[in-house]
Amino acid sequence: MTLDEIQSQLAAMSNAGDPTFSKFANDINQIVEQAKVGQLSNADVAEILRDAQSQLAILEDMSQLSFKETLNTCITGLIMIAGAV
Amino acid sequence: MKRLIVLLLPLLSSCAVYDAITMTGFDPNEYRIITEIRVDANHYKDACANPLIAQTNAVAMAYKTDLFEIYSEQIPGNDDGYKAAKSLNEIAQGLTRRYDIPPVPPLFCKLKYSSIESSAKVIQHTLGNRPR
Repeated sequence: MTLDEIQSQLAAMSNAGDPTFSKFANDINQIVEQAKVGQLSNADVAEILRDAQSQLAILEDMSQLSFKETLNTCITGLIMIAGAV
Repeated sequence: MKRLIVLLLPLLSSCAVYDAITMTGFDPNEYRIITEIRVDANHYKDACANPLIAQTNAVAMAYKTDLFEIYSEQIPGNDDGYKAAKSLNEIAQGLTRRYDIPPVPPLFCKLKYSSIESSAKVIQHTLGNRPR
């Protein structure tokens, strides 16, 4: 995959789908643009992109936790209803 | 209603339901630390142009994310929270390590704090919704 192909995929993602991931794709594309004009070294860009992967992992972990929180609330609600009946 | 509970019992064997029941509740200390991380990242971003202050801030941030990771580690039923804390700490430690090889571009520093701030916001939102 060439850099241009990656950037056009990111641009397509920026304009579609979930707003969180659209912003994410847009931010990454901007970082690549800044690297192209020499504002960041390749090593620095690699570090920032690794951070982007960590951010995705955090989003996934928190989404799992959020799901469990909702489930916990539902179960607690059911227990309360069961106790009241 | 008791019949409903009996019907739900088989569900209790599934991991997600078990995890949901045994998950840790809201922890004000944990919430406080992640809020501080988010606020600090937001303020430290503005000092990136001054290398001396920026390096001191990076060390302070790395200390706080380390505290957050270690605090989260021993909370029972907190696997997802701990994994997120570890990832956040790794982002912050990368900034401190970068100051060992100066000069650090202010843009790199700002992007690092943006990553820390947005991740801290996601974590803070989820921790704030934990059952009380």
